[in-house]
Amino acid sequence: MSDHTHTEDPERLAEFEARVAAGEQVETGEWMPGEYRQEALRLIQMHANSEIMGAMPEREWIPRAPTLSRKMALTAKVQDEVGHAQLLYRVAETLGRSRVQMIADLIEGRSKFHNVFHYPAETWADVAVIQVFVDGAAMQTQGALRSSSYAPYARVMKRICYEEDFHIRLGLDVYRTLADGTPRQRAMLQDAITRWWVPLLHFFGMPDRVSPHTEKMLRWRLKVKSNEELRQQFLRKFVPIIQEAGFTVPDPALRWDEASQRYAYAEPDWEELKRVGRNQGPKSAERLALRQDYHRRHRWVREAVERWGLLAA
Amino acid sequence: MGAALREWLLRAADDELIIGHRHSEWTGFGPDIESDVALSSIAQEEIGHARLFYEMVCRVDGAGDPDRLAFGRPPGEFRHAVLVERPNADWGTSLLRLFLYEHFDRARLEVAAQSTYRPLADLAGALRREEKYHLLFGEAWVRRLGAATEESGERMRAALAAVWPDAMDLVEGTEADALLAQSGALPQTPEALRRAWTEGVAVVLAESRLPVPEVAPAAEGLRGRRGQHTVDLDALLGEMTSVRRLDPQARW
Repeated sequence: MSDHTHTEDPERLAEFEARVAAGEQVETGEWMPGEYRQEALRLIQMHANSEIMGAMPEREWIPRAPTLSRKMALTAKVQDEVGHAQLLYRVAETLGRSRVQMIADLIEGRSKFHNVFHYPAETWADVAVIQVFVDGAAMQTQGALRSSSYAPYARVMKRICYEEDFHIRLGLDVYRTLADGTPRQRAMLQDAITRWWVPLLHFFGMPDRVSPHTEKMLRWRLKVKSNEELRQQFLRKFVPIIQEAGFTVPDPALRWDEASQRYAYAEPDWEELKRVGRNQGPKSAERLALRQDYHRRHRWVREAVERWGLLAA
Repeated sequence: MGAALREWLLRAADDELIIGHRHSEWTGFGPDIESDVALSSIAQEEIGHARLFYEMVCRVDGAGDPDRLAFGRPPGEFRHAVLVERPNADWGTSLLRLFLYEHFDRARLEVAAQSTYRPLADLAGALRREEKYHLLFGEAWVRRLGAATEESGERMRAALAAVWPDAMDLVEGTEADALLAQSGALPQTPEALRRAWTEGVAVVLAESRLPVPEVAPAAEGLRGRRGQHTVDLDALLGEMTSVRRLDPQARW
């Protein structure tokens, strides 16, 4: 792997940038700037981590899902997230880091996962909020990344978006059942919406400063839309789902501005997002410890599988 | 006859629901992503099969709904084998249980496919196709873990010693079996089923260097088929029904 601190050959770099600017995509094995490779790897590895960590809040509710069909659907949904991690780790591997290494990076806290998966899922209504709004937020980012310049990532993103769209539909069914339900069910849902609001705003990251780095990421199409653009896209689609069902967004400053076609909202506490980013969220330590624990408990199984592979070969 | 058939159907439904529940607890925590995804599919299929059997119970009753059977009965009304209600210990024990259960389920479905009760015969035929893959998955893991390393072999032998007495409960019968055998609805006795199951698992266990432990059949108190369960089921149902119990009349 080339080191990004090396100066790239200016001619090759210019040629690469021209290709990407023309909408072409980069395949595995083709020349790419060292920094591009490193940034793509960081992005895809974090995405893969987020899928595997994203299984954790929801899986807690599989044993408690309140009907047989909800139980099957939730198991299938969490299974899809685990499957997405598999696809994404495979894409990340094409950029030069092994899955074993990436799993070690994750559980030892050396790499990141998305902010929303550092929070607890306290009630059954959290399942609805996660499936509709967290997956809905992820859809905005991932939908944009279908036109990422890294071709293997863009291809996997198409498949993932297809499945995520289905999760949102399933989630909406859970959501509407609670929304049309008893006062207690509605109160549970309002409580979950209130707790998830700030993490959802945080999901898209801080408003972008026009830094040379962000500019380069956009130019290289490792980032397709700005953080604020994606956040607004999310608010346009999902605020009405909250309000039309008679629930309240916990932000008195939230309003639709007709002139700019944007939502105005109160700035969330960005320090909280930074803390979460350092694995200091409410559930970060507990979830990483649980992953480490299972990793240790499965040591003998991994050794057996590896040995068996050798025996069978 | 109706009561005996109902009891048999509940056994199958409860076995599938409870083992499916236990398998689903592994979702997200398998030893590798591929096995995690595979076991999760098996969990979903088992729960789906449970629903089909509960639907058939409702048909025999002429009323009711599958969710109420799954979530609304006290532990003493469940008819699954004690084996499937035990908490997951390690991956090896869960997969060994899966293997023992799937062998039994195969033998049971073979009999059910010959039932004179046509809806059951049809259903059993359809389920056998899916269950075949569950058995292959379980067998592959038992062979692998039984013989791969010294440690995995030791752990699997300890797991077998731990689950074997519970496994005997799979093939326990009740008065219902004699009635069903006589009528031709399910043309096999528990003794024949036990022989078929024991012979089936013994071959794979022997090839996996896992000798069958010598224990007496079903230890005292292990009578899942008669609704006698352990505190493990109380805990399982307590958790499983916790959301629904918030308001049993509500739609969920």
